[in-house]
Amino acid sequence: MSHHVTSHEIPVNGEHLDKSKIAKAKTIALAVMVIGSLLSVYLLFFAPKAQQGSYSYSWVFALFYFFTLALGACFWTLLHNVSNSGWGTSVRRVMENVGSVFPWLSIFAIPLLFPSVQSYLYEWMNMHRKVGGDIPTMTLISEWLAGSWNWVLNGFRYIFTGETLPMASTMADRLHHADHLMYNKHWYMNLPFWYFRSAMFFIALGYVIYRLRKLSTAQDTDPNPGTVHLFTARRRAAAFLPILALTVTFAAFDWLKGMDYTWFSTMYGVYIFAGCAINSMGVIIITTYLLRRAGYLKNVVTQEHFHIMGKLLFAFTVFWAYVTFSQYFLIWYANITEETRYFLIRNTEGWNIASIALVILHFVVPFVILLQQWLKKKPHLLSAVAVYMLLVHILDIYLIVIPERGISLGNIDHKTFGNISVSIQGAWMGDILAFVTIGAGFVFFLLRALGQHSLYPHRDPRILESANLTN
Amino acid sequence: MSTTRKRVYGYLAEFKSASALYKAAEKVRDAGFTKWDCYSPYPIHGLDGAMGLKRSILPYLVFFGGMTGTITAFLLAYTTQVVIYPTVVQAKPTNFFTLPAFFPIMFELTILFSGFTTLFGLLALMKLPRFNHPLFASKQFERSTDDGFFIALEARDPKFSATGSKDFLGEIGGTSIELIEEEPA
Repeated sequence: MSHHVTSHEIPVNGEHLDKSKIAKAKTIALAVMVIGSLLSVYLLFFAPKAQQGSYSYSWVFALFYFFTLALGACFWTLLHNVSNSGWGTSVRRVMENVGSVFPWLSIFAIPLLFPSVQSYLYEWMNMHRKVGGDIPTMTLISEWLAGSWNWVLNGFRYIFTGETLPMASTMADRLHHADHLMYNKHWYMNLPFWYFRSAMFFIALGYVIYRLRKLSTAQDTDPNPGTVHLFTARRRAAAFLPILALTVTFAAFDWLKGMDYTWFSTMYGVYIFAGCAINSMGVIIITTYLLRRAGYLKNVVTQEHFHIMGKLLFAFTVFWAYVTFSQYFLIWYANITEETRYFLIRNTEGWNIASIALVILHFVVPFVILLQQWLKKKPHLLSAVAVYMLLVHILDIYLIVIPERGISLGNIDHKTFGNISVSIQGAWMGDILAFVTIGAGFVFFLLRALGQHSLYPHRDPRILESANLTN
Repeated sequence: MSTTRKRVYGYLAEFKSASALYKAAEKVRDAGFTKWDCYSPYPIHGLDGAMGLKRSILPYLVFFGGMTGTITAFLLAYTTQVVIYPTVVQAKPTNFFTLPAFFPIMFELTILFSGFTTLFGLLALMKLPRFNHPLFASKQFERSTDDGFFIALEARDPKFSATGSKDFLGEIGGTSIELIEEEPA
């Protein structure tokens, strides 16, 4: 610690990003996003069926990749507030800004609401539509609501009498004859509830990050700044954390695991969460580094902050490996037919090489690199590691989503897509297009958020504590 | 009549507060002392930098300790499960690709060996346990576990001198400066 930062060095109005500097990058990102979106709309809805099918998977892959980044930043914001942390006050605004991209991603999630797109992705929906196609939507909704109520009543009935009554529902009744597994999962996997959940992910967590960011930025201009904002944020964050947990778990269940409704793993939500936490920390590190390089945050962010962020990156890399292995290990060892499907697909042909590469690239390499203390204190080297982590995260999400493509599409419509296959020729071009489109959108909304307010909470009571951090 | 000769350990000086200790430590460091130490009732952030301490070699010991654990576990599991007594469980192969089954043991032994190396390496580097320390001869030093902040300059430091070091400690803000002599054995 060479220099002690005092309140004289904190600008009265905070530091604002020079908008002319980012105008060009913002315009390019917006243009790429718009052009990519137009192409995507064509590929998803108007192209020949073969392209529609394979591009649907590209879209889920890209959407979920950036979904994890924004969602992880919401996690870091909540964690920072709820744990009453002092170290990261000077980078908290960066966390909030990355998190504020989250509600905007709902734009890119719209295609998932269309039955034509769903029909390629989620076989269980096809089954529901086929079996209950003539049942009016209102009936489905009211039956589901009545069923949920009955489920609660049945719980009490079971406690007191040890018996349950069968649930009356036309949909469930029909599924009973079509597919027993589908019948058992009907209370959760049904169209009205799925739509409700998908909307709630963005509405609920979007509201959370919007409120927290607003609370934080309101302090910048509050004539009477005190500890009120800080304590309110802490109280709210405690109440908001369960929303985050529910969102990450059920978004992973509904959008990714739902692609194969027969497979189940309770570790899945935690696995996805581990990826969120690592990679959004990566985005936060890179953003902070770039802002510092552009001449901002010089007074309040030091190598100590990068050291702590590097430690968190390291910790979650280990956590990711622990969780991922836990999931794999139990399924591999028990070797039960209905559980092994997920890994069988990902251990076939080229996917096997990718799976083994993932273990080495996503865990062994970053573990050895991040183990070194000196490296975590060098912002440029740490940012390079963060970029590397983001690249490997692409492989991680790719391995989650894409191996399902050749199998599901062949299963759904083998006349159009050919027989079940390991992969589909040329589909990778769509993957890149979708990734670039949503990535440009992510960058655009992030730059927009960065330009809106001061780059750090300059009137936060703990800003000096954070600026003079040693660890 | 016999006289007992006592060996001089060094000078002990008290400082008002943690920040006074921190600033004094920077001055002692800059004066070029090498054999000296700070004593405080609680850890002070950044004091290692103010004292100019080099990084400990402990992390390297722990790394190799941990690796030893990993390899030990692998060899133990591999030898018993594959070489000596091949055991087929749940149709798993009995060769190198049984590796995932060994991971929990490899993980646990890595942690265990790292933990042991940390503890025993730390004790060895700090030359602990020991029965006594010359500073315990000082009455005021007892307060270093309560509310006292101290710096001790040792006589074996090449920069140490009987009068100069005492004046130096006074200059940098030390009070109650005391000459510490080792108790006769």
